Amino acid sequence: MAKVAYYPGNTARAASMEVEDCIVPLCKTLGIDLVEIPKASSDGGNIISQASTKLQHSLVARNLALAEQKGIDIMTTCATSHSIMCETADTLAADSIYASQLNNLIARTSGIEYSGESKSRHLLHYLVEEIGLDKIRDAVVNPINLNVAGYYGSNMQREGACGGDDIFLPSYLEQLITALGGVPIDFELKCQSVGAPSLLTLEGTAMAMTAAVLCDAKQSGADMMVSACTISHSNLDSYQSRAGKLTGKDTAMPVVHLAEIVAFALGHFPDRFAQLRTRSLLIGS
Amino acid sequence: MSRMSVIAKVWIEEDCITCDACQDICPEVFQLTDETSQIVAAVRVDGQFDRNTGGSLLKANFGEEFAEYIEEAAEACPVEIIKFEVAGGAAPAVEAAAPVAEVAPVAEAVTVSAGTSDALAAVFAGDRALTILFGSQTGNAAGLAEKTAKLAANYELNANVVDMEGYNPASLVGAKRVLIITSTWGEGEMPDNAEDFWQGVNSSSPALAGVTYSVCAIGDSSYDEYCKAGIDWDEKFSALGGTSIQEIQLCDVDFDEPWSQWVNSVLPRIACVDGAGAFQESLVEEMIAYGAGGDDSVSSGDFTPGTVSMAEISVSIELFRYCPSAAESGWDNISCSIPAHATVEDLLIAIQQDVDGSLAFRRGTTGGTPTTGIFVNGRIVLADLARISDVIDSKGTLKIEPAPGLPIIRDLIVDLSGYEAARARAEPWMRADPREGARLLNGAAVGTMDASSATKLHQKSDILSYQLVQSMSDTSIYDKSYEGPGVHLQQWLRAEDPRCGEEQRKNIISSLNETDGVWAEADLSSIARYGSDGKLAARGLNEARAHLLNTSDYSGKHGRLVKWYGRSVKWTGNVNETTLYRQVLGPLGLVSNIFNGVSARMVLGFTRNGGPPIRGIQGLLMPPAGVGKIPNMINSKVDAHHEVVSLFNEIDKRF
Repeated sequence: MAKVAYYPGNTARAASMEVEDCIVPLCKTLGIDLVEIPKASSDGGNIISQASTKLQHSLVARNLALAEQKGIDIMTTCATSHSIMCETADTLAADSIYASQLNNLIARTSGIEYSGESKSRHLLHYLVEEIGLDKIRDAVVNPINLNVAGYYGSNMQREGACGGDDIFLPSYLEQLITALGGVPIDFELKCQSVGAPSLLTLEGTAMAMTAAVLCDAKQSGADMMVSACTISHSNLDSYQSRAGKLTGKDTAMPVVHLAEIVAFALGHFPDRFAQLRTRSLLIGS
Repeated sequence: MSRMSVIAKVWIEEDCITCDACQDICPEVFQLTDETSQIVAAVRVDGQFDRNTGGSLLKANFGEEFAEYIEEAAEACPVEIIKFEVAGGAAPAVEAAAPVAEVAPVAEAVTVSAGTSDALAAVFAGDRALTILFGSQTGNAAGLAEKTAKLAANYELNANVVDMEGYNPASLVGAKRVLIITSTWGEGEMPDNAEDFWQGVNSSSPALAGVTYSVCAIGDSSYDEYCKAGIDWDEKFSALGGTSIQEIQLCDVDFDEPWSQWVNSVLPRIACVDGAGAFQESLVEEMIAYGAGGDDSVSSGDFTPGTVSMAEISVSIELFRYCPSAAESGWDNISCSIPAHATVEDLLIAIQQDVDGSLAFRRGTTGGTPTTGIFVNGRIVLADLARISDVIDSKGTLKIEPAPGLPIIRDLIVDLSGYEAARARAEPWMRADPREGARLLNGAAVGTMDASSATKLHQKSDILSYQLVQSMSDTSIYDKSYEGPGVHLQQWLRAEDPRCGEEQRKNIISSLNETDGVWAEADLSSIARYGSDGKLAARGLNEARAHLLNTSDYSGKHGRLVKWYGRSVKWTGNVNETTLYRQVLGPLGLVSNIFNGVSARMVLGFTRNGGPPIRGIQGLLMPPAGVGKIPNMINSKVDAHHEVVSLFNEIDKRF
């Protein structure tokens, strides 16, 4: 059984409980052994780094060190958290003096160090590269049978954070949607940011970006959208009516997180899946 | 007819009269059917039984064993439809398929120094092509290949450096001299650029009886599979009939010295392979002396950049077009072939010359002209710098569009006047305060920046094109007042320059803090993803934000967001979104979601995909940051939370 440390990100155990609901049964079905790291803290969400990059790096390095202590990699459901962990690991690998400074700090405060062994894996990359699409396809109980637009966002679509997928023309989500029995809908803005870090400070801009992504997916023929990013999911889902209202665009569309759609296809939460199908095919929102 | 060493492939053209002659001469290769003679499956790499018009190679041993009989059969054929191709040289009196053109260096006239023996002069008079194949993951092998090519000129060899990626295994058949320089990746794997070629050679098994070769393998002896890729190549070439001119050289992480030993030994030896492919061993000593030369023209190892050739590839192009007079836009679809090492600009020039002279795009003056920004397959690149091989997708398509975020003038030309106007307003150029100069004891003037500051500043400002950075933001097309990251980055770097005057620095900082300044960027990650320029830009803009926060005591929405984000993490180890809403938006902002539809969507179960109803109730009771999170937000702390607090206290006590 594949063993990974689970890092829920900043919101999966708060605002985005739907991810937390789904990740455990999903992993159980696919034979992934999730190991808790209860001491892991927030990674700073690229917000703390605006005050102190070093502080954010130290929080992340500590989390990685906690996984390293168990001798395993970290898997996360959040593209932002994954990107932050990859960036931190890359920075420390490239600058040994800086890495040594941070490790001294972490050792002093937490009694551990990060050597660079443990890496972050996003759920999407883990499913495609480690579990394999064939195994997932074989495990599907309830095929999705919907036109699904996959949203990657901008965070993990960069060098060193997108696994073996193409940075600019990714296809892992589409491959996974196909394996789950859905019809992948390609759309232009699947890697564009929805301005999630600025939701509270630049609401107008963030809503315009959110509306553009939803509208593009809808015009491309999608019945629903699946997001690989937990924090962007909030913009795309909870704020979609607000975004549509502010921009005058048609943004109404069910949006679920990657963990949800995989869990549904594997047979978990059939009532919620039924509700999703009703929303996608009848209500459209 | 001269005796040929190996037949690479043989095929039957149309109009066979089934006379039986070929089958009588060489039944192992030719077999008659009712309608035509065919090439038997057992001798072919592809295992098919037909006329072999597809050009499948003969298996290595058969090409050598039956060469004489195949020739004889071809001569005996009354309708002259038996054709063949010779390995390691052109076939006489046959219309052989044209050799693959990827590595076909033109034989150049060689001027031989006085004092050279007749025998050596005769060697120099023949074909002097040398193919240097590299398999490289990080660029080390590619660099050594280029250096090797430079040194090869000392021995009158016309070296052609070839990336293994896209190289056709069939091209090896026509080569006489081949050097392979390759690294090993991971646990004994081929580098990424060599994998397809390796698979291709394995599947087609080209006959290499006419090829003289040697391998230089780079690896890391701390790995079990030390230099395995190079060893694999050495064994493969040997198995396919190639002649090793020198034993494989294994190089550890400090590869310069062993490579140097190898190259100094192998070049004079492989240079003694004459135009017919025969190794003239007696000339090696003279060749070494010739290469050492003693005259100034001999390359000593101080190298200028070499040229890397890549195979020609077929490309399907989707080209954005816009005609301003008709106000119409659309896409042109073009298919063509172009060397993979050509730049996007080369491709556009070719299209302009051969397909549509009206295509408009900005041409560069040298590689890396800042204004040649363009959007290719989702990448923002400089057209005169980006190689086709670096941007093409796996299906061989190129989608070419204007640089994003800027108005389009025509086709691929974007309007940079807005960027220039914003830059003019920002005034990022140097305006130093008057100051006294400083001099060394010897009287020489010194600059006003110490070496350490200069290095740091250079590292931060090593940007290829600020125009390109301007295009990288996902935000700019949604906020027309946003001046853009390219402009702000230049401002910040100027403020970081110690030579900058105090008044200018003050003005820049003030300008960056305005609503259309650095805070107008909604997501720096959208910039950071675009290569080294993007990373540097995002890092620089983040530094600017940190500076502004520290000098403004975290005032304003952005300041409050960062301050309370940090505090909530320090207090619990987690993010408390309710606290953020309350502190950033204020008490009224906290409940605003009730009225703008966000909470309604949550409560009615249209979001979070119908989670347990209790979440909706919680959302009603404790609006509005998000349904279901409130209890966790208030109560949860990570285990060993004191460790997180200690980390904050050690690094940044402001929270």
